[in-house]
Amino acid sequence: MSENLRVSPAPHISRKHSTKTIMLDVLIGLVPASAAAVYHFRQHAVILILTCILASVAVEYICCKLMKRENSLGDLSAVVTGLILALSLPPKLPVVYAVIGCIFAVGVCKMAFGGLGCNIFNPAMGARAFLTVSFGMAMASWHLPAQMNPDMPGLGPDTQVNAKNSSQEQKDQDVKLDAVTQATPLSWVKKAVKTRNAEKASEIIKSNWPNSQLKYALTGNIGGSLGETNALALLAGGIYLLIRRTISWHIPAAVLGSAFVFAEIGYLFDKTAFANPLVHMVSGGMLICAFFIATDPVSSPITRAGTVVFGCGVGLIIVLIRLFGAYPEGVMFAILIMNAFTPLIDRMLPAKPIGGIPDGK
Amino acid sequence: MKKTFKGGIHPPDNKDLSKDCPITGLVKLPGQISVLMSQHIGAICKPVVKKRQEVEKGELIGDSEAFVSAKVHSPVSGTIKDINLRSHPVLGRVQAVVIEPSEAEPACPPEQNSFADFSEDDYTPEQINEKIAEAGIVGMGGAGFPTGVKVGPNPKMPKETMIVNACECEPYITCDYRVMLEWTDQFLAGIKLLRKASGCRKCYIGIENNKPEAIKLLRERTENEENIELSVLETKYPQGGERQLVNSVLGKVIPTGKIPPMVGVMVCNVSTAAAVAEAVIDSAPLTHRAVTVTGKGVQKPANLYVPTGTPTEHLIEQCGGLKEEAVKVVLGGPMTGFSVGELQTPTTKTTGCVLCLTKEEVGEAKYLFRQTPCIRCGRCLSVCPEKLNPTKIAHAVKADRLDLAEKHNISACMECGSCSYICPANIEVTGYIKTGKIRIARANKDMPA
Ligand code: SF4
Ligand code: SF4
Repeated sequence: MSENLRVSPAPHISRKHSTKTIMLDVLIGLVPASAAAVYHFRQHAVILILTCILASVAVEYICCKLMKRENSLGDLSAVVTGLILALSLPPKLPVVYAVIGCIFAVGVCKMAFGGLGCNIFNPAMGARAFLTVSFGMAMASWHLPAQMNPDMPGLGPDTQVNAKNSSQEQKDQDVKLDAVTQATPLSWVKKAVKTRNAEKASEIIKSNWPNSQLKYALTGNIGGSLGETNALALLAGGIYLLIRRTISWHIPAAVLGSAFVFAEIGYLFDKTAFANPLVHMVSGGMLICAFFIATDPVSSPITRAGTVVFGCGVGLIIVLIRLFGAYPEGVMFAILIMNAFTPLIDRMLPAKPIGGIPDGK
Repeated sequence: MKKTFKGGIHPPDNKDLSKDCPITGLVKLPGQISVLMSQHIGAICKPVVKKRQEVEKGELIGDSEAFVSAKVHSPVSGTIKDINLRSHPVLGRVQAVVIEPSEAEPACPPEQNSFADFSEDDYTPEQINEKIAEAGIVGMGGAGFPTGVKVGPNPKMPKETMIVNACECEPYITCDYRVMLEWTDQFLAGIKLLRKASGCRKCYIGIENNKPEAIKLLRERTENEENIELSVLETKYPQGGERQLVNSVLGKVIPTGKIPPMVGVMVCNVSTAAAVAEAVIDSAPLTHRAVTVTGKGVQKPANLYVPTGTPTEHLIEQCGGLKEEAVKVVLGGPMTGFSVGELQTPTTKTTGCVLCLTKEEVGEAKYLFRQTPCIRCGRCLSVCPEKLNPTKIAHAVKADRLDLAEKHNISACMECGSCSYICPANIEVTGYIKTGKIRIARANKDMPA
């Protein structure tokens, strides 16, 4: 019997969780949002989600083979990357683009840096940025949910006007783009800000985004990326992760808290040009970012204080881009910018020994 | 408000396996008892006996001139068979005095009535101190610092408060708990003697709230004691770490890398206090202790009264032997104990537990030594009771950057194992840190003085 005994350093017991179970929890947390995506966007969602997951897994497998490494598919991180990327894409994105995105996400953003744990940037967001830059038009064509309510923004009179405009000037891509993007709530906000005409702006916001319509954002009955539209589904998944302690509350609280505060500042400053902060909370990628993207452990800081700074940075940049930037949505850039700051944050806010720094250090 | 410290983990405590097993004597003595000459932190003792010599129970067999050391006595009467290297749970191989017992009956736990009507006024601090040193008592919680040295007067760091570490925060172990329940008189007598010897004014018994029976009993017994107070703490590992205990009980933070005496506190263990009572009142040296034999890998868990130097195998046999599924035998607790490959390894004065673990308890990944890359999740940082950055230190050691490891306070790590326990990538963080510490110690020794 004694020959079979193992000898190893203490501790001799371990918590029964692993990188795989953490990733599995994230996947479970994304089930409601994925289900909502399928409900809202039907076959488009199914195709994109399956494509992205399969492509990401395949890319990781090939990379491992090429790099002569042990196959790392078992940790499920490629599946998570694929799913998050899929949920951040516009519903009607051509499948080829999605595959290119997966190659960039896993091949370039993750494996080229040395695989899981070594990547600096969040792979899904890196890929989304790559797609946005490469295929800007496709990445900004929004498709309306299957059960779209007729009096929802996007089908309102304003859109029709714009649509007419765009058909008149079909060759002018910018205008066309403008017309299609009308379908997402954030583009209304953006448009309102852009007019710089207080009266017109308030009119646009009021007509397209009366507060009573918050409920459409909550239930996903609105245009947007696959997994961003249904706020309730995302909240449910986020709460699941918090209860399971797969993520700590610090990052979501910091992202949402700071975004709310900064949006509120803008709102108080000029109610006519800036949208109600609640709109910012439930629309666009805010919730998926706060619970699923910013909480990526690899590319966020390691200390608690660091994660709070990181989260606040993400929240601030999201709001700045939404209010003043060239894009209606800021999540992707906010994450990438703060990812770049992560090493610096880690260095500025190191772990502090409980009894203080010993003498002579 | 619950008294506790920041950080730490909540492993399943598995104390139910043995917590209702009273401390019993061995059924029979082992054929050979190997008393290791290193039972504690400090200088290794030199045998003061010769081969083939007869020894009496309690006779001195090992001693050292060094200040930080503790005497070693024979736990049985018998013949010295050999003086040779034997495997040591921590130090590899160490010199041991091997005794073949001549007595037939193993010793039973001490009679309790001699401790009931005891008064500490019968002893002066000097007398107590001397008896503690004579009895070779060491801290029985794990590290094994000689108690005589700890209690003795130190003008540079006067002791004001004493804390009895009754947390027994390591999962599985229940020997201290049984000592408190069964040897209550002896335990309390020991506390009073230690308090008197060290000159402490106040004494706290720090106990985790997962031992309600012990708390109730001790509360009744200390009601009329002015200077002994029960301090009930949250059940959390490592609540019994000295620095954490002082923090939880008194709210004091000990500077990084320093020990409790720096803030005027003396911490001592339950079994140590019981041993002190025996040494002072009965003039008995420390040769036996309560040991928990437990884990899902052993047939019948038990708390045994064991002579120091008993081979691990003998204890396991007395408990019905290992089960088929057992994959690891650990001397000490699951968090800080030492796994042994050789079941001949004898117990020491600091061995409070023989833990037989199954694969399921160890965990599949840990059993297979399968580590995956660090995902920077920060879990190790948030559980570290010393608030270090365990993963950074481990990485530095892995990269052979001992300077970096030192910069990140590797020496402040108390090796509690919380970071390894929590790590989802199953990285042996504590293992790396221990290796790093050993390498640093070696490097420093090589340097010219
Ligand atoms: S670094 Fe040391 S003190 Fe901190 S959790 Fe790990 S073993 Fe414990
Ligand atoms: S717990 Fe493990 S995976 Fe997480 S940061 Fe620490 S070493 Fe890395």
